[in-house]
Amino acid sequence: MITVNKKENLEWREGMTVQDVLDEMGYDYPLITVTVNNQLVQQEDYATYEVPDNADVNVFHLVHGG
Amino acid sequence: MTKTVKSGPKKIDITINGKAATVTEDTYLLKAILSAGFSVPTLCNHKDLAPEGACRLCLTEIEVNGKRKLVTACNYPVREEIEVFTNTDRIKKHRKTLAEMFLGRFPNVEVIQNIAKICGASDTERFKSELTDENPKACVLCGHCVRACNSFVVQNILGFAGRGITRHMTMPFNETDPHCIGCTSCAYVCPTGAIQIADEMNNPADPELIRYHGMRINAMMSVYDKAQNRMREVGTANLVEVMDNYDILPVHNYKYGKHPDTRNIESGVMKRKYFTQDIADGCWMGCSISCAKAVDGFEIKTGPYKGQKVVVDGPEYETAAGGSNMGCFDLDFIVEFNFYCDTYGIDTISFATTMAFVMEAYEAGIITRENTGGKELNFGATDEVLECLHELARGEGFGVDVGQGIRRLKEKWSKELGADAKFLQDIGMEVKGLEFSEYVSKESPLQQAGYAMAIKGPQHDEALLVAFDAINNQAPTIEDKAEMLYYFPLFRTWFSLLGQCKLIWNDIVPPDNSKYPPDEAAKIPERVEDFQKFYEGMTGEALDEEKMLKQSERAFNLQRVMNYYLGYGTREDDMPPLRAVGPATEEEYTSREERYDKQLKEEIGIDPEGKSTREKMDILREYRYKRYNALVDAVYKIRGWDENGVPTPERLHELGIDVPEVLDMLKEPEK
Repeated sequence: MITVNKKENLEWREGMTVQDVLDEMGYDYPLITVTVNNQLVQQEDYATYEVPDNADVNVFHLVHGG
Repeated sequence: MTKTVKSGPKKIDITINGKAATVTEDTYLLKAILSAGFSVPTLCNHKDLAPEGACRLCLTEIEVNGKRKLVTACNYPVREEIEVFTNTDRIKKHRKTLAEMFLGRFPNVEVIQNIAKICGASDTERFKSELTDENPKACVLCGHCVRACNSFVVQNILGFAGRGITRHMTMPFNETDPHCIGCTSCAYVCPTGAIQIADEMNNPADPELIRYHGMRINAMMSVYDKAQNRMREVGTANLVEVMDNYDILPVHNYKYGKHPDTRNIESGVMKRKYFTQDIADGCWMGCSISCAKAVDGFEIKTGPYKGQKVVVDGPEYETAAGGSNMGCFDLDFIVEFNFYCDTYGIDTISFATTMAFVMEAYEAGIITRENTGGKELNFGATDEVLECLHELARGEGFGVDVGQGIRRLKEKWSKELGADAKFLQDIGMEVKGLEFSEYVSKESPLQQAGYAMAIKGPQHDEALLVAFDAINNQAPTIEDKAEMLYYFPLFRTWFSLLGQCKLIWNDIVPPDNSKYPPDEAAKIPERVEDFQKFYEGMTGEALDEEKMLKQSERAFNLQRVMNYYLGYGTREDDMPPLRAVGPATEEEYTSREERYDKQLKEEIGIDPEGKSTREKMDILREYRYKRYNALVDAVYKIRGWDENGVPTPERLHELGIDVPEVLDMLKEPEK
């Protein structure tokens, strides 16, 4: 089990990447910052960065608009 | 939440001069070479401009499947495993010849001399000709200025004319183009000083400082906008599908946050079928964000302009979201509604939010066809909405009622029709008499307060904070939230004080912004610095966060005192309707039952099992208003206002605005 934004729980599975987490959460906003266990993950690594079990994942959305 | 399946960018292994490197697919080879610690001479390349491959100095040899070829590294995207050689004899010979050609033509230009040195070229005679320009600031035809004009400020004032040896940089017809606004982007990127700035308007204290920070923003826009919010492409309309995906797009008078028909009004459809101008509409010529869009040749179907083809400015996010709020997922309607609101001088937001309220009242049976002049005003009634708009403009029929806005309609209907005043209060989305703008704030206490506590009523200009708590779960404590509701309204007020557009603040975010902790990152520190430097460059006075907030605080508190004096500035004026804080009807609760039941159980400690929807709604209502009031208390405290939300004389003294005229306004409100 992993935690997303300290409130949502997702079932963990072997080989789960940051991109998988974003897809499952439906997070498709372009301006986000992702940390996994306080480690910053670069956007180009979302598809390859593996999320360990029990990870604390934070997806921080930067709101924009008038 | 809808699930999207994406495959992330591919990684490719390459070798550069025998050294292994891994790059993301489509990385330009020059970037990969520089990252690996090697260097290649360049002239036409510029860090803030798209590569062009014009000067040919960055030619590099690559080997693919055993075959060798020459490519310009600056604009060669890596898509397969390659071996790269940056310094073979073949390349060295080529570069030296090229550098000698440059040197023969521009012998005294420093940037050319430096390139020649790197390439081992020193013979100034070999290519000397009648074209040789002895000017040390000669134009070397690198094209930086032409590209900057287009990509920084979306203009095409500068261009190349002539071919071969007559090629030169110029404005159309070799005349000074009156459309040039003097943004100085061209001078900023010119590597030789061939383009000089002749004068400085408005006598800024430090024009170079302003120019540096302005160009930093321009460059950021031109490079990153296409991967971020696509403001140049579709303007603020990019938010339509984003808000729907996050359950924040208002649907049916803010009952819901998403709808399957949103796909009919999303920005992609606007771009494909409506937007006809890929440039700014003239909102601010030379603006690097260029978010305003236009629809040309749009044929009007109703009202005084029926049958005519017109140009429509927009639609923006708020206008499209006003459509979803009225249940009208039809872009033909939205564009026409946009046109007539603009033509009549009516705010699209207030009108759409009022109509959404009218439609809910109609569906709830509070008003009938008798009251609406025979119009069936169900959600989605596009023709009837336009009819109301025309009536409003003519000052006739039911349109006159609609034009009064939600606050007066609530009073009128409860007084004249005996309607349930409490229900109307719950669903009427207005505070201080102004209609809400188009974001669903139910799951975001920050946005609820951002809206309802805003000085001029519930618009998002003062505090657009909906994602911070609703999605990010940021600012978990009341104090954290109060801190944000202190900073952001003051920060955003500062833009208004200085007459600055705030879109460039957070619509374009530096890629390394994530190096800051989330609370700081939310402020976009690099952009804040840009704005502070604009101020310093203009006035000569340095500005830091404290001073910046203080400037706003004086104006902000004065505005609140005026609100109080005019009868809109106490706690009761900061109270949002239930629809803004939680579900106001049973169907709303049921539509998100899992979410609300979870909150009852986990946050309130009440087992929802066996309770009716109405009972659960009542518990939730009490909890959410209690939470809202606690937040208001904390915000008043941090702002230095009393518990009724009125700035104290001590606070006004601290801010240096305790002059008699201001203190007098605190005595008795006019209401």
